[in-house]
Amino acid sequence: MLNNTKTSHEIHATPPGDLAIWFFIFAELLAFGVFFVAYAFARAHNVELFNESQQHLNRTSGAINTLVLITSSYFMVRAVAAIKQGLSNLCTQWIAAAIGLGFVFLAIKMVEFHEIFSAGISLSTNTFYMFYLSLTIFHFMHVILGMVILAAVMLKAKSGGYSAENHTGVETGASYWHMVDLLWIILFPLVYVIR
Amino acid sequence: MDNNPHKPHFIRPCTRIWLALMILTCTTYAIGETAWSGTAVMLAVLGTAVIKVQMVANYFMGLRRTRWLWRGIVLGWLLLVSSLITVAYLMTVK
Repeated sequence: MLNNTKTSHEIHATPPGDLAIWFFIFAELLAFGVFFVAYAFARAHNVELFNESQQHLNRTSGAINTLVLITSSYFMVRAVAAIKQGLSNLCTQWIAAAIGLGFVFLAIKMVEFHEIFSAGISLSTNTFYMFYLSLTIFHFMHVILGMVILAAVMLKAKSGGYSAENHTGVETGASYWHMVDLLWIILFPLVYVIR
Repeated sequence: MDNNPHKPHFIRPCTRIWLALMILTCTTYAIGETAWSGTAVMLAVLGTAVIKVQMVANYFMGLRRTRWLWRGIVLGWLLLVSSLITVAYLMTVK
């Protein structure tokens, strides 16, 4: 993670956090990668349908959610930097802020889903909406899982369970949360913008 | 005079990355709000996403301070997925 200390210039043998979470992250990247490519090739066979259906999406809420997730991810970078300095309370506050923005993401997404379902659109409406709903709901579930992980990390940080020397748990939670952000960074332009 | 080479900058590096990510996201949104389309626009939007993913992976996830193996896995995944998306898009260009 980024900080301004001398140790940030070392090359580490393994990524930050528990190594197990990275195998989980790579499995998730693989699953979403297959999904993204399947969407792109399905679009190649139904360009008019995909372009027309895409026009009915709320691009503004998609963009706001991108800004929200990126900012939430940034808050977790600050949480890791704080605990590396032994500042448990500050770390807890940054994680709480990151979770708060997670709720904002979910709220905006639920409004978007409400608009879609109110218009009578479902998974079976057409191929575009099948992909759109599947991808975004799948990602939505990952956001919820990420928030649960961050909540557990936050509770432990609040009780003084982490320190400047022992903060692997915070880095593990942050790594998962960054992955959730990273996936949305591709999902947003792919589904909402590219035509 | 302070000669400390590790003196923190006024704006933290991670904050600069966050600002760049926000600006790039607004750029993508602005392109989406125009009537622009075509291969060049698609490549610009997808290229922007690739840059953003690399920024998150290297600076937020901390992969730039790890062995090439770990960065290579994420970069390889990113290049493979974005290349296949580009191929799928180009199949539709007449």
